[in-house]
Amino acid sequence: MDDFRATRLVETALRCYPVRWRRRHGDEAAELAALLIRDGTPAGSIACSYLAGAAREWLTPRPGRPLSTVACALLAAACALGVSAGLLAPAAPAKAARPTSTSHARGPEHCRSGSPERPGSPERPGSPERPGSPERPGSPERPGSPGPTSVVIPVNNRTRVIIREPAHGRPC
Amino acid sequence: MNRPGGRAGQDVLRRVGEASVLILISLADVPKHGYALTQDIKELADVELGPGTLYGALDRLERLGLIESLPAESRRHPYRITAAGAAALRVHLDALERVSAAGRLRLRLGGI
Repeated sequence: MDDFRATRLVETALRCYPVRWRRRHGDEAAELAALLIRDGTPAGSIACSYLAGAAREWLTPRPGRPLSTVACALLAAACALGVSAGLLAPAAPAKAARPTSTSHARGPEHCRSGSPERPGSPERPGSPERPGSPERPGSPERPGSPGPTSVVIPVNNRTRVIIREPAHGRPC
Repeated sequence: MNRPGGRAGQDVLRRVGEASVLILISLADVPKHGYALTQDIKELADVELGPGTLYGALDRLERLGLIESLPAESRRHPYRITAAGAAALRVHLDALERVSAAGRLRLRLGGI
């Protein structure tokens, strides 16, 4: 790294300190960094050290700095972490929903009645093949379980029918 | 826990961290500025203090009244140990010595 870039890197790190600190130590810190770089210390490690020092400086309560400022800094850091976690989160439910065991594999499959995966399964009432079939009290799959319920909802001047399965409570 | 010497002899350096103790030891003979401190500590204890750590420790020690900054020479601020700093360092080194002696004694008793 050339001198100019190293100096810029260290100056950027020093700008992270509070103004009060920069007034007090800024010039001296820049000179110390220049001397250390001249001695062969990598500019990156000096900048990292200053960044860590700046973080400590902001997060340490001072007499002149109310605790609320420190709390705000911590809250901002927590929010930044939360946003990052939120951006990563959408991938997690997709992985979790992937069928890994037989009991979970039934969930998405039973929405497709008559599918080739389940050739021996009985036809369900309310399915498109047998629209007018009666409810099935005490079916072999779930004895005593209520049958599917359909809900008619008008959406944008069109009627939408949602069939709810009691197995998972989600519309199919 | 009661310490020998009571409150006046309390070891205030117990919780300030190794960097602060090394800085006080380095300043115990003559005043030094930041770069001289890092070089001296490197020689003295084979510890490379990062500049961020150095200024954090200097600020803390100054707030505690254990060191004071002298008028700037060009862009550098030399720092000097105060009387309170010297007393605190003495108490801390005595405590370290006691712990060190106890440790050595136990090693001897254990035959290790």
